[in-house]
Amino acid sequence: MSEFDFTRLVPLGQYWPTGSLVHRLDPRARLLGALFLLSGITAAQGLLGLTLALVVLGLLYRLARIPLREGARTLRPALPFLLILVLLQVAFNAGADRGTVWLRLGAWQLTTEDGVIAARLLLRFAALVLTLNLLSFCLADTELVRALEALLHPVQGLLPVHDAVLLVQVTLHFIPLMLRELERIAKAQASRGAEWGVRRGSLAQRVRMVFPLLIPLFLNGLQRSENLALAMEARGYDGNLPRTAWVEFTWHARDTLALGLALGLTIGIVGLS
Amino acid sequence: MARYGILHPVSFITLENVSYAYTLPDGKALPALRNVSLRLEAGEFVAIVGANGSGKSTLARHLNGLLLPQQGSVRVAGYDTRDRLQRRAIRRLVGMVFQRPEDQLIAATVQDDVAFGLENQALPPALIRQRVREALEWVGLWEARLRPPLQLSAGQMQRVALAGVLALRPRCIVFDEATAMLDPGGRRRVRALMAQLHAEGITLITITHFMEEAAEAQRVIVLDRGQVVQDGPPEMVFRCGETLAAYGLDLPPATALGCALRRFFPALPVPVLRVEELAAALAPLRPARPAPVLPPAPPPPSAPPLIEVTGLSYTYAADTPLAQPALEEVDLLVPERAGYGLLGATGSGKSTLLQHLNALLRPQQGRVRVGPYDLSDPQLDPRMVRRSVGLAFQMPEMQIFEQYVGDEIAYGPRLLGLPKPELRERVRWAMELVGLDFERFKDRFTFALSGGERRKVALASVLALKPSILLLDEPTAGLDPLARRELLQRLRMLRLAGLTLVLSSHQMEDLAALTEAVTVLAQGRVRLAGPIADVFAQGAAWSALGLDYPVVTQLVTALRAQGWPLPATLLRLEELLAFLEQWLGQGEAP
Repeated sequence: MSEFDFTRLVPLGQYWPTGSLVHRLDPRARLLGALFLLSGITAAQGLLGLTLALVVLGLLYRLARIPLREGARTLRPALPFLLILVLLQVAFNAGADRGTVWLRLGAWQLTTEDGVIAARLLLRFAALVLTLNLLSFCLADTELVRALEALLHPVQGLLPVHDAVLLVQVTLHFIPLMLRELERIAKAQASRGAEWGVRRGSLAQRVRMVFPLLIPLFLNGLQRSENLALAMEARGYDGNLPRTAWVEFTWHARDTLALGLALGLTIGIVGLS
Repeated sequence: MARYGILHPVSFITLENVSYAYTLPDGKALPALRNVSLRLEAGEFVAIVGANGSGKSTLARHLNGLLLPQQGSVRVAGYDTRDRLQRRAIRRLVGMVFQRPEDQLIAATVQDDVAFGLENQALPPALIRQRVREALEWVGLWEARLRPPLQLSAGQMQRVALAGVLALRPRCIVFDEATAMLDPGGRRRVRALMAQLHAEGITLITITHFMEEAAEAQRVIVLDRGQVVQDGPPEMVFRCGETLAAYGLDLPPATALGCALRRFFPALPVPVLRVEELAAALAPLRPARPAPVLPPAPPPPSAPPLIEVTGLSYTYAADTPLAQPALEEVDLLVPERAGYGLLGATGSGKSTLLQHLNALLRPQQGRVRVGPYDLSDPQLDPRMVRRSVGLAFQMPEMQIFEQYVGDEIAYGPRLLGLPKPELRERVRWAMELVGLDFERFKDRFTFALSGGERRKVALASVLALKPSILLLDEPTAGLDPLARRELLQRLRMLRLAGLTLVLSSHQMEDLAALTEAVTVLAQGRVRLAGPIADVFAQGAAWSALGLDYPVVTQLVTALRAQGWPLPATLLRLEELLAFLEQWLGQGEAP
């Protein structure tokens, strides 16, 4: 793979239409269900609950007909950071009664509780990543936007819903565009002798190298957003005026069922300890 | 009618004494429109032309209230654009298609994007569905409705943008340089849609740098420094002579050709706007005198190949489900000191091929040799290659990052570690190559330059590395006629100075001016290759690839079909004129 290939750094647009039961659920149910699971996993304190979450996720991947391996692929690059995090947590965890002592190094001791903390961190992280990836495999960008719009519809008077939804939409559109631009700029500067992609030079040199990339990228982003704002205005966009959503969803019994199940599991994940 | 006065029935759009000025960062005012008064009638097809900075886009943005006049007034179908309450109605009546395809689409799928304007009008969902379908079918993209717009070609994206406008059922559509970024096929398609809209009674206003496009309108308005300097049918505006040059514009290529041929055919009516008309007008004027027999063309100089590509294949994202083949079994031979052209539609692989020639991409299959460097060699330091092979991407001025012109151009040589006095000389040398005066420009702000000047700075910053090969991707895209002519002139001089030039372009006239040999790519494969005149002479194979001919070749082909004894290989104006001179004598002084 080329050293200029930035588009692959971001796991966006990885919608994977397998036509499974999960994919056929109402987008609102898919989004809400994922949000339930995410909050459950974040709130869970017990190892048992987190294990349950992982089991549920395994079943969901099977049901969505997506290999679990694909969902776990983004875990590996994050592992070193995670291990550092675990070490820090364990190193700064101090307290009186912390269970059986496994290892003693001067004033520092490794105890059962440290093991629990480390396991909790790793399990929670894995469960969160798997859930987010599953969501992006099963919910297309456009479904995400529409589901958000529909779910936020009731609070329209209180929040600038149109603007918020549009913000999500434009961001989803811009990220791949800007990554493509970054690739072009990096290649252009490399053609002018920049050491990009040569993997050499001191840290200071590498930092200096970033300015020729970031300045045009920034200017370009500004110009694009100005163009986009003009184009949107020309098509009559006005956040203050009422708009319609042209896609209407139909909520089925299976959506209620799925959501109920997700809620039950979430309570289970938080409750088990 | 009586309400507005009998003598002046109301026009669809009326501008009265409109003035508008931008405020510069230093607080000064930059006038863009000065006291412009215009009436645009319902159903008219109007082209607005002018050099960069003449106020074209500013004028366009007044037509649907994106900009409001600082002085004077703009009325659309009777509504004053200053009236906030009517703004939605005005935006529905006057739609707009912009220059950059990917900047005007916002949604994740094509159909959502087309629905955007309709949603803004708060129409009922069932009606929106129907209108989205109609609009997408009309532009021929219903099949692509579920695809993300960014995966489409530039031409398809512009058609999506047009569908988004059409779905609102506007009475007028403004095209703001909407074809500038398209390849000939995409451009032809959009122009055909415009002609169809005009036939259906929609008011069309097109802003363009392509004079042949302006010649298709009923009325041409020329802007110069914010003022209307000409306004009339194309036959009146595009007269022979130097009038337009004073405004930084050219004649349409066919018109310029007709004007040049008057020397030999004084009876030729001018101006002619299209090549077919020119061929028809010349038909009765066929000279009786026998044509001279040209000596056979000298064999092309057999310089050793400087660039040698054999069996090159390349696939993007090769090891993923998104794998996308870009090049398949491509061969290319570029002799030393040659001018070599790469041709093909968007996505045909030209850009991927160019990037292999300075080691931005390494061959996955096949071999690439550039001068002494074998690019398949993993030990090769790509910087060595890039030092002798300069590459400027399409719109290279987008990559400028320094505040001052001199610093921008010095970036490359400074990385080479040149000592200060030598660095200064190098920058001076590079600036002079592209025609920028060193003392006058070195301390100018890069952002305050004109489009043509910024392009030259970007080019100089590549040349500052003293490459022996220069790769250019669409070097004249987006430039106004004057800047384009000047850039072509500079590139011709660089070639004379011994530089090997490889360029990809959609502009056949650019290729005719700068290259002797071309390779035509389609879907990542080589379709045609050889001396440029031979390749252009392959009529049928050529049109099947959706490409244009240079206008001289078009005329020669049409006249040969009528039995004129012209050699098929004429493709530049000078060549045609030289041949006619040999055939018909000096002709009359122009």
